[in-house]
Amino acid sequence: MSDQTPLVVMDGLTIKAPTRTLVDGVSFEIHGGRVTALVGPSGAGKSLTARAAMCVLDVDPGLVAGTLRFPALDPAVDWYEGVRGGGMSAQRKLLARTRHLRGAYFAYSPQAASSALNPGRTIGRQLAMAIGRRQTPPNDLSAEIRRILGQVGLQPWASGALPGELSGGMAQRAALAVAVAPKPRLVIADEPETGLDPVLRRAVVELLVRVCKEEGAGLLLISHHKDTVRRIADDVIQLKGQHGETGGTA
Amino acid sequence: MNREPDVDAPPVVVVKGLVKTFVQSGAWPWSESRDVHAVRGVDFTIAPGEVVALVGQSGSGKTTVSRIVLGLEEPTDGEVWLDGQRWDGLSEAERRPKRVNYQYVPQDAMGALDPQQTALEHVVETLTVLGGRAADDAQREAVSMLENLGLGQRLHALPREMSGGEQRRVTLARVLALNPRLVVADEPTSGLDPDRRESVLQDLIGNLPEGAGCILVTHDMSEARAWCHRIFAMLAGRIIEEVDLRAAEPVHPYARILFDPWSGPLPTQPLATAGCPFRPDCPKAEEVEGDRCGADEPSLSPADPRTHRVACHAVKS
Repeated sequence: MSDQTPLVVMDGLTIKAPTRTLVDGVSFEIHGGRVTALVGPSGAGKSLTARAAMCVLDVDPGLVAGTLRFPALDPAVDWYEGVRGGGMSAQRKLLARTRHLRGAYFAYSPQAASSALNPGRTIGRQLAMAIGRRQTPPNDLSAEIRRILGQVGLQPWASGALPGELSGGMAQRAALAVAVAPKPRLVIADEPETGLDPVLRRAVVELLVRVCKEEGAGLLLISHHKDTVRRIADDVIQLKGQHGETGGTA
Repeated sequence: MNREPDVDAPPVVVVKGLVKTFVQSGAWPWSESRDVHAVRGVDFTIAPGEVVALVGQSGSGKTTVSRIVLGLEEPTDGEVWLDGQRWDGLSEAERRPKRVNYQYVPQDAMGALDPQQTALEHVVETLTVLGGRAADDAQREAVSMLENLGLGQRLHALPREMSGGEQRRVTLARVLALNPRLVVADEPTSGLDPDRRESVLQDLIGNLPEGAGCILVTHDMSEARAWCHRIFAMLAGRIIEEVDLRAAEPVHPYARILFDPWSGPLPTQPLATAGCPFRPDCPKAEEVEGDRCGADEPSLSPADPRTHRVACHAVKS
């Protein structure tokens, strides 16, 4: 079910800090309906690269080279146009210009559920707000909320619960539901396995992959567990200290 | 790993029939409280020089067992003996002078350090206050321990000036400088990248004093395999398999999932409250005659007590 038009085409991404190069000429494509793993040693710039793909850049001087296209959205636009070498102010403008894409074209699935959910709002209310970011709202909002809760394996009653009333595992499922509710084209998950026991690690990753596939979203997964990558990734972006390259695996 | 446990010497830790039940109160003052059986009968010994891993899923009782061994929690039942002396049931005043021998490495290094003290001050303070050293001895020992751990150039750095790996090494230096008999490390590598994990464990286990025991609580099976003499796999408050991975591979159906979660289907059923907790998901239960797995909870069989013990009816029969 791989989409022909890539979601993200990054070419020659280079990010610099004042004294050293953090990401040096990384190129890759991310396709819808597939799992792309982003791997590499510590300090290779995995998180920076993932954030740069979402147009979130906050290092100075930051982006100095590279082009970023979202062909599934508009093949002509290079989103980094005018940002390269522009320092913090240009990067801030890019952030503002692309605000409507985050949460809609991309969703970020955070490491800790507790930081993703608003403790003072019910899960149903948070889902309703996330669904509100879609371009075409559903006819029956409450049916849609029930459907998404079912997707992540939660009962309809969870809709009325506050995050604090859910167990840790249920809160994590709810956070995933909020991430996929706007029907994003791409879900970015930054080390979702951190701190989990081995059995839970597999369960969380499998849930993430299943929900993304069923919702038709691509998944960019940052992971340093070789097992996970070997078992679930369709494509692998390998960052090697200073040089990035892509390679497909089964 | 070139340490070898001295199995003929008197053990550093002996734990017998350990039970810990927490009482969880209900949501309201008039709601009924319920008992949470965190640890349900755990026995093990740790020999001088031995490093054991305590592995299991969240909630299996790993942390509770390690806290009871250190005397941070009182067991509901059972006994803890450290260096041949009874350790549970003592008052804090009786324990305090001996605590210096039984040390804890925290998970959160930054939270364990004083933001206003340098690396050297942390270790010196530990040595004078807990270790009872004179000021100049403490100074000398602290410098040499920090140099051992590669922090010779960082003696006067404050925690915020150090990298995550350096902060962790300061917490290790503080523990190891006391020359402890037992070190309990609760997920000392959690949140670190794989290459830094390796060096933290090298620093910890490579610098353990001669004859000291070590309990490593971890979620990372490759760490347990690489650094520990024996592995204790826990499920629902009990040890279900004790194995020396250099001599044997885990055979308990649940322990195999724990070691390689991708090898087969994940458990889906809640744990059983009677009989073997893993019974509802166990692929081997049908091989056992009658319903022994449902009726009678297996205990660790002492087939080869030093290297391998398993609590499973299917393995025994």
